[in-house]
Amino acid sequence: MRIRVAAVGDVHLGEDIRGRYRRRLEGIEERADVLLVAGDLTRHGTPDEGRIVAEEFRDLPVPVVTVLGNHDYQSDAEDEIVDVLREAGIQVLQDDSTVITCGDVRLGVVGGKGFCGGFAGKCASEFGEPEMKAFVRHTREIADLWHKALKGLDTDHRVVLSHYSPVKDTLTGEPPEIYPFLGSYLLAEAVDAEGADLFVHGHAHAGVEKGVTPGGVRVRNVALPVLQRAYAVYCLGDESDNC
Amino acid sequence: MSHEAPHHVEDHVASHHDAPHYVAARVQRALAEDERTYELGIRVDIRGDQLFLRGQVEGAERRAQVAAVAAENAPWLTVRNEVTVVEVREPGEEETL
Repeated sequence: MRIRVAAVGDVHLGEDIRGRYRRRLEGIEERADVLLVAGDLTRHGTPDEGRIVAEEFRDLPVPVVTVLGNHDYQSDAEDEIVDVLREAGIQVLQDDSTVITCGDVRLGVVGGKGFCGGFAGKCASEFGEPEMKAFVRHTREIADLWHKALKGLDTDHRVVLSHYSPVKDTLTGEPPEIYPFLGSYLLAEAVDAEGADLFVHGHAHAGVEKGVTPGGVRVRNVALPVLQRAYAVYCLGDESDNC
Repeated sequence: MSHEAPHHVEDHVASHHDAPHYVAARVQRALAEDERTYELGIRVDIRGDQLFLRGQVEGAERRAQVAAVAAENAPWLTVRNEVTVVEVREPGEEETL
């Protein structure tokens, strides 16, 4: 009951590198059963860049599931980008879930962009000025939605797809002072409450690939500058079965 | 509007009299907020009359833009562009979890 999950994030597509990524996706169906893209699809977050992303990832021989990243919000056109991607047959998670079926195997994917706040013991709290409360509340509300979405999934495997990180492990190499802007422990807490096979994120370009949540869920930072390859492939399932 | 440099950045003109600490912060902010770059992960260090840029971008043109924006914001410094372009290699070995 194995399934192969390809993942990458932070492709930051724009006119200047149009087509460059697409050619690296040739033959993906021989290596993976699904492709997850962990946000920062664009650079400026414009609808034009959204169309470049759609061209780059459309009509692949495997299903494509994405979330948005902070860059994809920069031009206040995130809804239009989501529409463009969906019209191209690309799934976009916004704090909800989807089920990918591959043969007999059902893979549940939960996710959204995630958000900031920091990590246990060194994080912001919902206290004080309204701006600070809104900042932390945004992450908490996202985490609550992911918790519910995971609870509602009855699949062979479960993966969480995010832009922001749930743990510090994969931020190693980033300045510690900016950790609170790279992720939040609330994302990990929600996933640990329900369990998952894998948590995939991007955003931390100077980080490292591998980490784990306090509850034991494997975390992988798939930001392109970290991977330095077109995508990583993670096999979920029993060791005894071939991927 | 969203593609214009924010006014508060344009209003403040850095000078060579400013402490290097604030010049580096201003350049880093410009790299994040200038529509030509929108690069959040570039490290800026000033040592003497040199400004060092480190990090990674997705293309050669973006690497050049990072240096151009930095030079505009601190024209009295020599920009040392140590930013690299991400090389996208073939997908490698899969990992079994």
